[in-house]
Amino acid sequence: MKRNQPKGPPELFISFFRWFCDPEIHQFIEGDLFELYDQRLEEKGKKKADLLFMKDVLQLFRPGIIGRKKNHYQTNFIDMFRNNFKIARRTLWKNKPSTIINMLGLTVGMTSCLMIALFVLHEVSFDKFQPNAKRIARVVMEYSMGRDGGVEEGTFTSTKVAPVFSRTFPEVEKGIRMNDASAILQLNNQPVLESNFLYADSTFFDAFYYEMIEGNPKTALNGPNKLILTESMAKKYFGDKDPIGQGMEVGEEKELFEITGIVKDYPKNSQFYFDFLASFSSLGANQEETYWNANYTTYLLLNSEEAFHSLPDKIDPFMKKESVEMGASVDFHLEHFDEVHLFSPHSDMVPNTSITYLYMLGAIAFLILVIVCSTYINLSTAKSVERAKEVGIRKVSGADQGQLFWQFIGESTLLTFLSLITSMALTYLLLPNFNDLIGKNLSASELIQPSFLIFTIGLTLIISIIAGSYPAMILSKFQPISILKGVFKKTNSAKWLQQSLTVFQFGISVFLIIATLVISGQLNFIQNQDLGYDREQIIALSIGWNKDNKQVSTFKKELKSHSQIINVSRAANSPVNIQSGYSMNLPTRPENEYISVNANPVDDEFIKVTGLELIAGQDFTENMIHLTENENWDDNEFNYILTENAAAKFGWSPDEAIGKRMILNQEGTVVGVIKNFHFQSLRNDLNPLVLFTSSWGSRLLVKVNGQDLPGTLAFIEEQWKKFMPDRPFSYRFLDEDYNRMYQSEMQLGKVMNIFATMAIILACLGLFGLSSYMIQQRLKEVSIRKVLGASTWQVLQMLSGNFVKLVLIAIVIATPLAYWVMHQWLEDFAFHISVPIWALLVATIATVGIAFTTAGIHGLKAAWSNPVKNLKSE
Amino acid sequence: MKKYQLGEFEEIVMLTVGVLYDEAYGVSIKTEIESRLKRNVSVGALQTALKRLEEKGYLKPQDGERTEERAGRPKKYFRITALGKKAMEYSKETRESLWNAIPEVAWKLKMV
Repeated sequence: MKRNQPKGPPELFISFFRWFCDPEIHQFIEGDLFELYDQRLEEKGKKKADLLFMKDVLQLFRPGIIGRKKNHYQTNFIDMFRNNFKIARRTLWKNKPSTIINMLGLTVGMTSCLMIALFVLHEVSFDKFQPNAKRIARVVMEYSMGRDGGVEEGTFTSTKVAPVFSRTFPEVEKGIRMNDASAILQLNNQPVLESNFLYADSTFFDAFYYEMIEGNPKTALNGPNKLILTESMAKKYFGDKDPIGQGMEVGEEKELFEITGIVKDYPKNSQFYFDFLASFSSLGANQEETYWNANYTTYLLLNSEEAFHSLPDKIDPFMKKESVEMGASVDFHLEHFDEVHLFSPHSDMVPNTSITYLYMLGAIAFLILVIVCSTYINLSTAKSVERAKEVGIRKVSGADQGQLFWQFIGESTLLTFLSLITSMALTYLLLPNFNDLIGKNLSASELIQPSFLIFTIGLTLIISIIAGSYPAMILSKFQPISILKGVFKKTNSAKWLQQSLTVFQFGISVFLIIATLVISGQLNFIQNQDLGYDREQIIALSIGWNKDNKQVSTFKKELKSHSQIINVSRAANSPVNIQSGYSMNLPTRPENEYISVNANPVDDEFIKVTGLELIAGQDFTENMIHLTENENWDDNEFNYILTENAAAKFGWSPDEAIGKRMILNQEGTVVGVIKNFHFQSLRNDLNPLVLFTSSWGSRLLVKVNGQDLPGTLAFIEEQWKKFMPDRPFSYRFLDEDYNRMYQSEMQLGKVMNIFATMAIILACLGLFGLSSYMIQQRLKEVSIRKVLGASTWQVLQMLSGNFVKLVLIAIVIATPLAYWVMHQWLEDFAFHISVPIWALLVATIATVGIAFTTAGIHGLKAAWSNPVKNLKSE
Repeated sequence: MKKYQLGEFEEIVMLTVGVLYDEAYGVSIKTEIESRLKRNVSVGALQTALKRLEEKGYLKPQDGERTEERAGRPKKYFRITALGKKAMEYSKETRESLWNAIPEVAWKLKMV
């Protein structure tokens, strides 16, 4: 019956009473309490009655009244648990083949999951250690020049942005400019190239937190030529001495920097990384005249997170006003600092990782787990016939369904936890190899972090429940009477599930095989693609941008005197990747109609070294290079060589272009036209390019014969010491540079290879186990058929045919899907192969073959077995 | 000896149950004790005592009717069992024998 809320006694106390009271006497006492309450309500009023009720309840809270729900007969849980554990152990031990298959599968699956999880966690953790991360913005510049040029975007900004923005917009608390550079330092009087040399504004420490061991973060970067070291660098250069106040010689000019601070070594998961931090003012570039000369990265510390919404609306009109005078439109937008690493298309100082790459890895890990779980489910349902009797006996002895369910779940949990322990060890052992593969530096100590442990254990529990619950449900549902009578058949739903899981497993395998083949096909294509230039046997050396050309010329001559060195060229960029942007125009056209174009300053041997193909006109001559050696820029005379499509921009055919005047920075003459070539990643189209004469450039490209490479390199180094004593000797091969551009694809290819192999092995393991059980059950049928005259082949067909059918269904489903997905991936490249039909065929044949053999092994065994043995006992 | 142990409050409860005869349940026992002995009885103490007496086998419970004033909860009536009666008698006898054993002189002695 319902009591009115305001009339009744305090609910809280009723529920409290119900909670603690012994259920056996609870009803009667509650009745007493209500009766008393009603009496008091009439005599003394609600307040008093409520109070007395509470007092009664509290006084009832005493031994004798308190009692939790107890079973009428007490079960000994610990003994029960120990018994279950023992049975689980024995079952696992008894069914060694399926235990091994399951354990192997689970271990492999969980190991890959752990590794992928480590990788993903590492990538996700980027920049999270910065306490201000939420309100720091990275500035992205967006500009378009002239009418022709499209909109370009990048994280490059000029020195003007930070001071102007922090002055103009109240939302901007601080602006920080940075420049990621490398510097030559002196270690024991030997030049050493340090590549993590970062210039930053004195506001750096206002936005970013780094623990200072020595020095004052507020003042350490005030003024030019101040330098902060990390702890490990301090140790490297100064040993146990105190570096504060000491000087350090930086660069070829040996400029003296004063050391003003030491920061503690910090985590590497950061979008910029420095070993040395120098004051930005040392660059001598911190004037604020222009938005061009955009060579720096700008970060803004905003006063609040909300400014991310309000600030862009203010920047747009402001920049519109500013760009009126520039004749080009320049705008800036903001990126969230903590989202840069995963979501920004612009890599700056540390390469970003695309979130899609992480999703892909996650998906692979997930697919592998699905395969593994399916194997477990399949094997356990297949085995269910054997365990049916056990279930029957247990049920007759009084076990209820719930107890049996948890017993079987317990079994799968035991197995997964055993696998977890193995996988942890395996991950620890294999992590260095995995690091090599993905080019990261993940640490194994992450494995035992509490949060990671919780994740792993959670994952393990989920796996054991997913894998264990269906078999457990099936097994615990058996009717004891029918089992023990001996008429027992598997349910249709179990059979259906088994088959669809097999289809699923093989579908995933087919998909992964196709994906792997396509990826490696595309990588192969990239590596063998005729780029229009020669990248073999070219060594790239790094010299100073402004190094005097006369010296370099002598150096080149000396190098060429060696029999193995064919040609040497000085250029700003190697042909592998030319990004530098210029604009070109004709003297006859209006000034603002320029065309944006990539260009490369080169000398007279660039075309010889790289093997570019001249189709009209002539190569640069040594003389033309000398014309660009004047101190006074305006006296220099420039010559140009265009690519075919660059000439076409002006409407010239290759022959027409020769001798024409054009402007690129300055007016000059076109002397030659070369064939188009791939000077950027194959993701991009063939873009127009201009080569122009120059007497500067920071790269030396050495074309060698390649017969005695060590000898040649030794010779180059010897000459280098003579001519460039102030620079460390380091070299790279052009084809390595080229491959580096496709690093993420290569990694993806390798990772896919491994995981696809694993997926197919796991799927086969599953099929192997499954077929063995299925065939065992049909052994009598096979024997009778044999007695009646069936041939081995017929038997085999009958037994494996079913599996092959399932695999075929899997192929029919997975192939179009894989085709579509891989097609999308290939679309990303401007130059790509089409999804090859042979890849689909190979995947199909391989999978069918593997499935047939796997199932066939057991089939043959059954077909060859002696019928007498199988039929003698019944 | 020991099997007829009855505490002071337990004895009062037993006696009250006897007094109430057919009407002995939680609330009525409580009100009866309170009105006769002029002492406050908490529900907690009473229920504990009743439960203990029931466990000892001195009282026999019997489910009663569900009334509206009790929000549909049944009453639990108590009857004194044979064992309970023995226990009460035993308790009474021990006291009487003790009473009888007190020498007359003891009453005549005046405390200074």
